[in-house]
Amino acid sequence: MPDSTEAAEEPRSDQNPNPSASGFLGAVTAEEGNEWSSFRDDEIMKQHSEIQAVEAVKIPFVGDKEPITALAAEFQYGSPILQEKIKLIAEQYLALRRTRGDGNCFFRSFMFSYLEHILETQDKAEVERIIAHIEMCKKTLKSQGFTDFTFEDFFSTFLEQLESVSQGQDASISHDELLERSRDQSISDYVVMFFRFVTTGEIRSRSEFFEPFILGLTNSSNTVDQFCKTSVEPMGEESDHVHITALSDALGVAIRVVYLDRSSCEAGPVTINHHDFIPSAPSKMSTERDDSTMASTNIITETATVSNPSEQEDGTTATAATTEDSRPPFVTLLYRPGHYDILYPK
Amino acid sequence: MLDLSRVQKELVECNKDSDISGVTLTLHAGAADLTHLAGTITGPLGTPYEGGTFHIDIQLPSGYPFEPPKMQFITKVWHPNISSQNGAICLDILKDQWSPALTLKTALLSLQALLSAPEPGDPQDAVVAQQYLRDQPTFVVTARYWTETFAKRASVGIEEKVQKLVEMGFPEGMVRSTLELVNGDENMALEKLCSS
Repeated sequence: MPDSTEAAEEPRSDQNPNPSASGFLGAVTAEEGNEWSSFRDDEIMKQHSEIQAVEAVKIPFVGDKEPITALAAEFQYGSPILQEKIKLIAEQYLALRRTRGDGNCFFRSFMFSYLEHILETQDKAEVERIIAHIEMCKKTLKSQGFTDFTFEDFFSTFLEQLESVSQGQDASISHDELLERSRDQSISDYVVMFFRFVTTGEIRSRSEFFEPFILGLTNSSNTVDQFCKTSVEPMGEESDHVHITALSDALGVAIRVVYLDRSSCEAGPVTINHHDFIPSAPSKMSTERDDSTMASTNIITETATVSNPSEQEDGTTATAATTEDSRPPFVTLLYRPGHYDILYPK
Repeated sequence: MLDLSRVQKELVECNKDSDISGVTLTLHAGAADLTHLAGTITGPLGTPYEGGTFHIDIQLPSGYPFEPPKMQFITKVWHPNISSQNGAICLDILKDQWSPALTLKTALLSLQALLSAPEPGDPQDAVVAQQYLRDQPTFVVTARYWTETFAKRASVGIEEKVQKLVEMGFPEGMVRSTLELVNGDENMALEKLCSS
């Protein structure tokens, strides 16, 4: 579909659509004085990438670890409620790592947070588990008609990173090397695209489950297919709870999101909300999914976070009442409207 | 940097079922590398473009497949979302809605779909769009006439054009490559030769 940002060519004075040579050349001449026609798509896109380049200087894809006080400093002239909330965050969290606000920040934050966790814990069981999930994701995408070469490079880039961080304490890449790779566009963007593929595959394969949530988003004419094509698969498209749920389910990795926004401001003492996205699919290997009830439970609590945050818990208990794993998720992200960064618990 | 192995795979994949899909993808004539390709799409049945073969110039930016391919109609076409002047295309997937999940083949198929379903509310060529909205019969006749005139051009007669342009004083090699570039359109070739 044509997009709306493009300036259409202005009506020309010689409205002669007949393809005679003189008419054609004449029209070109008439066009020359036209400002809009000289404003071409590639120039607009070039301008976009120039803006991105300016942003890039300000903050790398993945920033350095900063003390949580950096957050307070940023908001020192901001809303008192947010300042209160930052104090509460500071009670539970030690540090913050910013990511670039280029629309890929959720995926980029997840990438670094997950790989850093594997690097630090050398959790072999977790690595094996996620590799099995990744294999399933590949099959899902194939069954959905994606051409192998469109996704296989992105998959292998992520698997390479995973391998590099899980070679044992001495053989793995260093923490600095991980950071460097996360800032290297040729690796970082490939991993982001890997996550986008995983996310789109999961949403498409459970379209009847995701459909109501997608319909509830801004654009009511969105079908699941359109949503995936316009909001998941292109780079730079921002993520919301649909993406997070899908990625968490597809990879079987729990994600905690701490909300630094104006929710729960009106009544009672200021609290800080968080939501745990708990993967709903422990048995992805079976084609018959018997976990649909659990998945819906997760989504219901999550929607509550978004639409009615004041009913959320204050951070002492996890939202999703799953019994099997009581450990908090190891991927913790800080959400501010429109942006995700990485949080480090105390 | 451009992912060359992917482009090679795309070339093979796109031409696997050209008979059915109606789209082809080849290296651009005289291109030194894989960054300049040429595509064709057949006009969809039941549209004013039926029976035509439309040539598309494809340039791959160094960021491909993260950046969209640059596509432009070489064959002149009368369509609200394609410039009747320079073949520029107004299609979201060639801009901000591009994704590495798409391929050159899917992009060409999208162009084919665009020929079937114009979006006059979001035009590239305002004159064509106005005509499409206000006077469909004339639009259909014009679009069909353009298809007959530009998209069904047989390669016969090319020698005459070469000779004519050579007589004007342009080197033959340059004349041939320029004519090929503009799909045999003598006037376009002359324009390009004069401006280069």
